[in-house]
Amino acid sequence: MVDRPLDEAELVERARRGDLEAWETLVRTYQGIAFRTAYLLAGNAADAEEAAQDGFVKAQRALGRFRRGAALKPWLLRIVANEARNRRRSAGRRERLALRAGAEIRSGDAVPSPEAALLAREDQERLLAAVERLPHNHRDAIACRYFLELSEEETAAALGVRRGTVKSRLARALAHLREHLEDEA
Amino acid sequence: MSSLEQRLHALGRELAFPPEPDLDATAPAARPFPWRWVALAAAVVALVAAFAVPSARTSILRFFHIQGATVERVETLPPAQERSDAGGLGQRVSQREVERRLGFRLLLPRLDAEPTVYVLDGVLATVLLRVDGRPVLLSEYGAKDYALLRKSVGDKTLVEPVRVAGRPGLWIEGPPHTLSYFNSRGEFRQKTVKIHGNVLLWTRGQVTVRLEGRVSKAQALRLARQIR
Repeated sequence: MVDRPLDEAELVERARRGDLEAWETLVRTYQGIAFRTAYLLAGNAADAEEAAQDGFVKAQRALGRFRRGAALKPWLLRIVANEARNRRRSAGRRERLALRAGAEIRSGDAVPSPEAALLAREDQERLLAAVERLPHNHRDAIACRYFLELSEEETAAALGVRRGTVKSRLARALAHLREHLEDEA
Repeated sequence: MSSLEQRLHALGRELAFPPEPDLDATAPAARPFPWRWVALAAAVVALVAAFAVPSARTSILRFFHIQGATVERVETLPPAQERSDAGGLGQRVSQREVERRLGFRLLLPRLDAEPTVYVLDGVLATVLLRVDGRPVLLSEYGAKDYALLRKSVGDKTLVEPVRVAGRPGLWIEGPPHTLSYFNSRGEFRQKTVKIHGNVLLWTRGQVTVRLEGRVSKAQALRLARQIR
């Protein structure tokens, strides 16, 4: 008989009872998205690593208060993102976001001509610059919802606001971006 | 979904994120209590008592401890000698050789060339780095080697708990302090050297890491964050 993998609820339950292996499995599952969220909110890799590290440690200590049956990801992101925002407030510095060097062509994509690839890259850089110019709460909403592809609920948890606030911030941020991009065109 | 939203999704997939760190995200209290290390520490204290020379005895006012290092605040520093430059760091060996001897991968910042590495008594690896043009010593040792650094500081020296990439550490700044250590066989090294620079101590996994140099706390912490 082959053991079936434990589902998340079982891992959480085991971690609540002090099973370190179960907790470490959960950490490995979510450390990537937690670190990227912290990086976008804190603005630099060192603070993001500290925020993710401290956030997971606090989450483990608070597992007893985690509501059974609730989704773990938004709960974890809320704790890690809170650590990241605290570090941004204290550090006051942020690295500029950048595109990966030599964007990959994904399997299934049509191979663009060099001119088309250059135009697409310029287009992305212009959009990124416009996002960077947004007020920080609009920028954070865009980063969580679109760059990290979090759901509205997860975005709300990461930003520590209600879903309705996420919706309104996103609507205003998108309107700002359209204006910026039209002005430049 | 509007075309702008689609473009934002696509942009997110092209962003350059820093490499994902491997988090040590378990609350310290949740780890099994390290009875083995308590026993070792007791043995070490007994060794210290056995090897202490009368002139070096002094009242210990306070202890600070992280993994393989203890900092004690004392009324009077023990007699210490100046460390010769490279000679005091041990034998010069290749990075690969020191990693073989110590049994762990050296934690280093990004370097342009193969670093010059010294190893002292089979326990302590040291690399000479530069921060803003100033020389800084990066030393590392593994807890499994039963190595233990003991630092003694006077009342004018600052000892401050810090966090380095989420891990506990100590920042030691001010007048010279002294350093002695135990080797991989648990033998106390009587030679005590005087340290003139500031020191940042922290742990990463089973490795205790130490930066020493005439640098500020901010400079040391900045460098420490690059060491992985």
